[in-house]
Amino acid sequence: MLRARSFSASGPVLRLLATAALTCASPALAEGTDILSSQTLSVSGTISLAATDGEESWLDGGFGKLSTSGTKNGDLRVIPMLSEANLIWQPRISWAISGTVVGTFQGGERNEAGLSEAFLTYKPMRGATTGFSARAGLMWPPVSLEHEGADWHVRDTITPSAINSWIGEEVRPVAVEGTVSSQLGEHKLTATAALFAANDTAGTLLTFRGWALHNRRTLAFNDQPLPPFEPDDVGYQAQHTHPLLDVDSGFASRPGYYAKLAWQMPVPLRVELFRYDNRADPEWVNEDLEWGWHTHFNHLGLAAELLGTKIRAQAITGRTRMGYAEGGRRWVDMRFRSAFLMLTHPVGTVGLAARIEAFDTHNRGSWWGSEYDDSGWSATLAGKRAWGPITGLLELIHVSSDNDSREGIGIDPEQSQTRLQADMRLSW
Amino acid sequence: MLALAAAQASAAPLTVRVVDSNGRPVNDAVVSLRSGPASRPVPTGNYSVSQKDMQFHPFVLVVPVGAKVSFPNLDPTRHHVYSFSPAKQFELKLFARDQSRSVTFDKPGVVALGCNIHDAMTAYLFVTDNQWTAKTGPNGIVRFADAPNSAGKVSVWHPYLRAKANVVERQLVASERNASFTVALRSPPMAMSDGY
Repeated sequence: MLRARSFSASGPVLRLLATAALTCASPALAEGTDILSSQTLSVSGTISLAATDGEESWLDGGFGKLSTSGTKNGDLRVIPMLSEANLIWQPRISWAISGTVVGTFQGGERNEAGLSEAFLTYKPMRGATTGFSARAGLMWPPVSLEHEGADWHVRDTITPSAINSWIGEEVRPVAVEGTVSSQLGEHKLTATAALFAANDTAGTLLTFRGWALHNRRTLAFNDQPLPPFEPDDVGYQAQHTHPLLDVDSGFASRPGYYAKLAWQMPVPLRVELFRYDNRADPEWVNEDLEWGWHTHFNHLGLAAELLGTKIRAQAITGRTRMGYAEGGRRWVDMRFRSAFLMLTHPVGTVGLAARIEAFDTHNRGSWWGSEYDDSGWSATLAGKRAWGPITGLLELIHVSSDNDSREGIGIDPEQSQTRLQADMRLSW
Repeated sequence: MLALAAAQASAAPLTVRVVDSNGRPVNDAVVSLRSGPASRPVPTGNYSVSQKDMQFHPFVLVVPVGAKVSFPNLDPTRHHVYSFSPAKQFELKLFARDQSRSVTFDKPGVVALGCNIHDAMTAYLFVTDNQWTAKTGPNGIVRFADAPNSAGKVSVWHPYLRAKANVVERQLVASERNASFTVALRSPPMAMSDGY
């Protein structure tokens, strides 16, 4: 029997923000309090000019892995875009407690506005060898080695890797997270652990669409479109997914967790291990036909520097399951993996970046089987130069993939796309 | 050099060059000369370590014992400067752009600076009671124009130098007025991904 109850994360997030606002409004403001001033507000934005060929983007109802599409015939299409604009509010409630709230507009193939992140940070004065910090609210877990800043922008390229594109679209829960870091001689160890809720649907988009490469983040409470189902598949799953959703009855009644260990060595090498499990019940479903997807993954991150070249690599392997068991298999039982290697090197005032990556999914569900497997690779070259608050980027990206789902809309399962894009970012 | 030496009965310029194992000049190495009884340097002028673009400037600053060092915040964000070093333990909450606080450093030693808000920020104060102390520039050279024309001991300190207490030293004979040090440096630590 279907349990037709759902719980959106909007209530807890709004309560968290209201609590923060009430704290800020207290007349007995702590030393260091700065709720609203020029120092607590900043804006960032990106305008783009993209020339893309190939199939229709997944944002337009296709299976294209980039956020822009070619023409109807797959020829080169050039479009200017206001890619994104962010209003960032970082109030400081005391020296140890601060907030981060980011409102975002995303343009291009699909215009939308909403909340990117909203969380409180607690960071008391560290000790001589040990430090502690905590965060609570709506935030991305510390997985990406490509993103930085309050607006979670991609540092060295325009388009993040497939791994971090997926983190940006489906892995952003409401969490309570604690981090302890310790200096052991010349080694630094950092351990992070978190409990979270409102991420029960993580894995939906990755299963039905496959991997993608784009810098669009899922905004809180917004949905993401799924590729069109074939007629026989309609009725099982909504034609969209809300990544920020508690499908179970009651908020955080069955919280998920993530944990991370990072080891910074005396040589310029950092190793990070990350584990995520949303602990969702695959048989949960709400009245909109959005299901609980039991998704877990392990992640390895490496950052190193050699002769002035920065080397970053990430690898992920995981599994997601949804629906009832039939013949010993859930409707969906999908294993996924991806890895990338990126090199960045400064040449004069220009930062150059090169990235190569591979990705695939393996479906073994009783409903969603191996005919929907997705596999591919991508190569990216980018250059970046900053002029004060303005940063210019130029990127060439090629992605090639094989996904039999494309036959459902009458196109060849093997597709490739190439895009040349110029971005101008403003941060002020 | 911290202070001009009093007229020495016998003085001669001493040049010390510091290079790494690849022969490249080492910037920000602190060179000290001990040769006979040394005068305690007198704090003169203004000493400051600013915070700009989420970094301390300079990365290494040599100051005499008793120096009062200001910490101006030139960033549009707050900084929380601290040190746990035995030579000086302190914390400064710097609220806003152009705000500055000062700390007096009354014991010799190395003071490692950090920011509790921005973990990647690091700098070092070298507090000295030796007038013959200076740091290298990009050319890796320190020149003591009025150094005693006598035997002595020269030491080189750098925060990333591979040696006990990050120091190497050796004796100089009186006739040696050009000294060269080849040092092995560790790579600077990578910033942890604390930008979340």
